[in-house]
Amino acid sequence: MRTFIVLAVFGGGMAHATLGQALRIADVAPDIPLIVVVLLALRRGPEFGCGAGFIAGILQDAASGGLLGVQALTKAIIGFTIGAVGGRLRVSQPLVQVPGLVLLTIAEGLARFTLLKLFRFPAPFGDLMTYVVLPQALYNGFLGAALVLALTWAESVRERTS
Amino acid sequence: MKIRALGLLGTVAAVCLVLLTLQIRGHAAGASDVLAVLTTPVQSLLSRVNRTTVGVWSTYREWKNVRAENARLREEAQRLRVEALRVTEITEENQRLRRLLALKRAMPLATLSGEVIAREWGGWVRSLTVNRGRADRVARLTTVIGPDGLIGRVVDVRPGASIVQVLTDPASAVGAHVVRTRTTGIVEGEPRGTLRFKYMARDGSGIQVGDLVVTSGSGGLAPRGIPVGRVVSIDDRGSALFNYAQVAPVVDFARIDEVLLIVGEGAHDVAGLFPDGGS
Repeated sequence: MRTFIVLAVFGGGMAHATLGQALRIADVAPDIPLIVVVLLALRRGPEFGCGAGFIAGILQDAASGGLLGVQALTKAIIGFTIGAVGGRLRVSQPLVQVPGLVLLTIAEGLARFTLLKLFRFPAPFGDLMTYVVLPQALYNGFLGAALVLALTWAESVRERTS
Repeated sequence: MKIRALGLLGTVAAVCLVLLTLQIRGHAAGASDVLAVLTTPVQSLLSRVNRTTVGVWSTYREWKNVRAENARLREEAQRLRVEALRVTEITEENQRLRRLLALKRAMPLATLSGEVIAREWGGWVRSLTVNRGRADRVARLTTVIGPDGLIGRVVDVRPGASIVQVLTDPASAVGAHVVRTRTTGIVEGEPRGTLRFKYMARDGSGIQVGDLVVTSGSGGLAPRGIPVGRVVSIDDRGSALFNYAQVAPVVDFARIDEVLLIVGEGAHDVAGLFPDGGS
């Protein structure tokens, strides 16, 4: 199980590092680790979500050269929250997946901004939301829904063949 | 379970906040170093994977581009090849028509140009169909020539076309002589598509391989001096009445597209009009 979580988180990180640039559209890149954390949390619960979020976030912090702990904390919170309430959501519906991931990305953005503001981060809120968080949220929404669909399809194929 | 999860979240939050506070107060070098020990190998690994993946991806994309470009260039090359063939074809046709026109102008007899519209190339019959017929006042036995020499004669005239019996037709025969020795004889077609020159042996003719055979004008069917072919072998039958020579036609009948029909009458020597100079 631990191997799985490590592979999943590192896989997300790798996907972010490798596919992030390739998937960039109009200078907007998806937050693949966030999507992976959400998917893991939905399947494994709040503890896994929290741990995966922390590891993925700290890797991103370290990779970006920013303040260590910002994304680690926000992603850990997201992972924990989704793990805790995910069971009550109808996450198999794309109508839930897309807006869900959009809202989660916005929430993560807001949390990150708040945390950074506490530690005297100078960026203007409006610009950050308009040009960074919202486009990324939309992108995450659609990419995440596509990933969920792909995983569902892969699982159904596996069940049929086994 | 829930308490454990909350405990984990609290721990994570505490670690993060401590890390952030330390960084802001300038004491985070140690924490960063510790994390660097853990993250640097991962980052190196990710970077390597990134480079490899991006490299593979770039190579793939380049390969796709090259493939697309290759397909485009192939298409263009094919189009240009067809264009070049068309130009070559037009150039060749132009040259053929120029030669035919030059011959027509130089010819002392009235001629009619015609285009080959069909060919019969079986062993029994060898003929061409020319798009000149009764309406053009073509008569039976009209001599048909090309820029290189004799092609044959008209054996059937129809309303819009004429059938030309080619020299190599087994039923074809034309009076001829060897230019160098003036040895006279008859050139006959053979079923295998070759020509046979039949001549009197008592002449002591001295025909050699490579000698040019031209029409003799005897019988008035064809003007004198039109090249027929070149001797390729001699069948010397000693004291027999006739000797034979195999003759290769000067005209490539399979590639004839335009012809001249000699419609004028009169005895003329046209030897000087042909490139082989069949005088």
